[in-house]
Amino acid sequence: MGKLRILTVCGNGLGSSFACQMAVEGVLKGLGVDCKLDHDSVSSVASAARNFDMIIAAENFKTQIESANTGLPCVFLHRLVDKKEIEEKVTPVLKDMGLL
Amino acid sequence: MEILQWIIDNILTQASVIIGLVALLGLALQKKPINEIISGTLKTMLGFLVLSAGSSVMQTSLTYFGDMFNQAFGFNGMSAVVASIEGINGQAMTDLGLGSEIAICLAGIFIVNIILARFTPFKYVFLTGQALLWESTLCVVFAWFCGLRGIPLILIASIVGGAFATLMPAFAQPVVRKITESDDIALGHFCTFGYMFTALIATITKKLAGGHESQSTEELELPQSLSFMQDSYLAVMVVMIPFYLIIAGFAGPEAAADYAGDVNYMVYAFLQAMQFVVGLYVLLAGVRLLLAELVPAFQGISMKLVPNARPALDCPVLFTYAPNAVIIGFICTTIGSLIGMAITGFMGTLVIPGVMSNFFAGGTAGIFGNAIDGRRGAIIGGIFHGIFIMILPALLSPMLAQIGFVNMTCTDVDTVVTGFFFMAIHSILGLFGIA
Repeated sequence: MGKLRILTVCGNGLGSSFACQMAVEGVLKGLGVDCKLDHDSVSSVASAARNFDMIIAAENFKTQIESANTGLPCVFLHRLVDKKEIEEKVTPVLKDMGLL
Repeated sequence: MEILQWIIDNILTQASVIIGLVALLGLALQKKPINEIISGTLKTMLGFLVLSAGSSVMQTSLTYFGDMFNQAFGFNGMSAVVASIEGINGQAMTDLGLGSEIAICLAGIFIVNIILARFTPFKYVFLTGQALLWESTLCVVFAWFCGLRGIPLILIASIVGGAFATLMPAFAQPVVRKITESDDIALGHFCTFGYMFTALIATITKKLAGGHESQSTEELELPQSLSFMQDSYLAVMVVMIPFYLIIAGFAGPEAAADYAGDVNYMVYAFLQAMQFVVGLYVLLAGVRLLLAELVPAFQGISMKLVPNARPALDCPVLFTYAPNAVIIGFICTTIGSLIGMAITGFMGTLVIPGVMSNFFAGGTAGIFGNAIDGRRGAIIGGIFHGIFIMILPALLSPMLAQIGFVNMTCTDVDTVVTGFFFMAIHSILGLFGIA
């Protein structure tokens, strides 16, 4: 498997998903996982998902992202840039994927 | 010498090249490997060109809309403008030919923000790229309108923009602290005057109720069906389609004949409303590409240079703290903006509400209202917020029209305040015979 590809998502795919992406990048670097990240709007999730291995978004987008049926593991955050929360929620998913 | 002149005339006047160079500088400063520098620079340039393409699609749709409006209601000299900061940015960067200045000013705002955060007590580093791009646009446009050119224009626009980027998060921080129950993030979104106005209204409603805060919005059960409003492009469509259909209905089939050809005029209006959203979608996709390299560069550099800086982030980072307040804020701001639209009709230029802004600024205003006075604050504050964010852009729109913007006005109110700020300074200096 190559680099882990993660998509962060918000309403517009501009600001908060980008901030989240930078926070996630920091966390994964700390965990020693090689990854490639990008951010996009919730409107584009269904089509964008096929290029990724994992989705991370704010918990208020849970229903919409789940209804897009991407089949990817999704992580929903309460505090988008809280590295502690990101690490707590992402670590079990990474273990499931056999990356940790 | 001739070669140098040729390069200046043909290459360095191209906004996409200037923007590419700004990205190149940012990547080089981070000591990125050469392949990343090249791909990052190219992607940034691509972003600008995608943005321009989106802007022209949006403008075609707006030209049609403006024309239909004039044919339907233009008899008494009234005109209509659509509130869209994205569109203002697109027109300024392409049609007004200020793209290079806006790109350099964006870098200038980064620098001024870092200096102010480093040396003043306001430790806020503004990381919302698109908001900085909008602010840079208004700073450059108004500095240019005041007669500045070249280096003085860049300097003044960067200083004003940098000051706004540092001070606006500080202005909102007392309420943000209450919302997040912490002090580690700040709000970086140039609608701060609107949010603080909402907070003020909520403070008043709380006082009027004898100081008792009403129940929080988060104790409400909102119907699941409202969740489609989380999708901003969908929300824009839902609002723009009726506006286009109503105006086209009033203008009648003859008015649209030149545009629509064989297509039914109402079907054509529907398609044009969709085209508006297409333009917006493409424009913002361009912005995403444009900023993808610049923002991490800025974050990396600023966090190194400003110890214990507080990152000022885009408004949706607050949405998870009060998701119900977001929906209530959006609905109430939209109601308020329709009232505001009616008021602007009496002011001579009818302003069509900016749905994107209603969505994001409205949602955040709901959170601010809720933080001060629960659901009462979110509802009443939200409605007043909607009126507020229509009146301010309406006051600015005659100046924007004079500058050369077609059928458009700003949304994010801090950028409107920036425009007023430039005009105020200009007229004060004028009194002393300086400008």
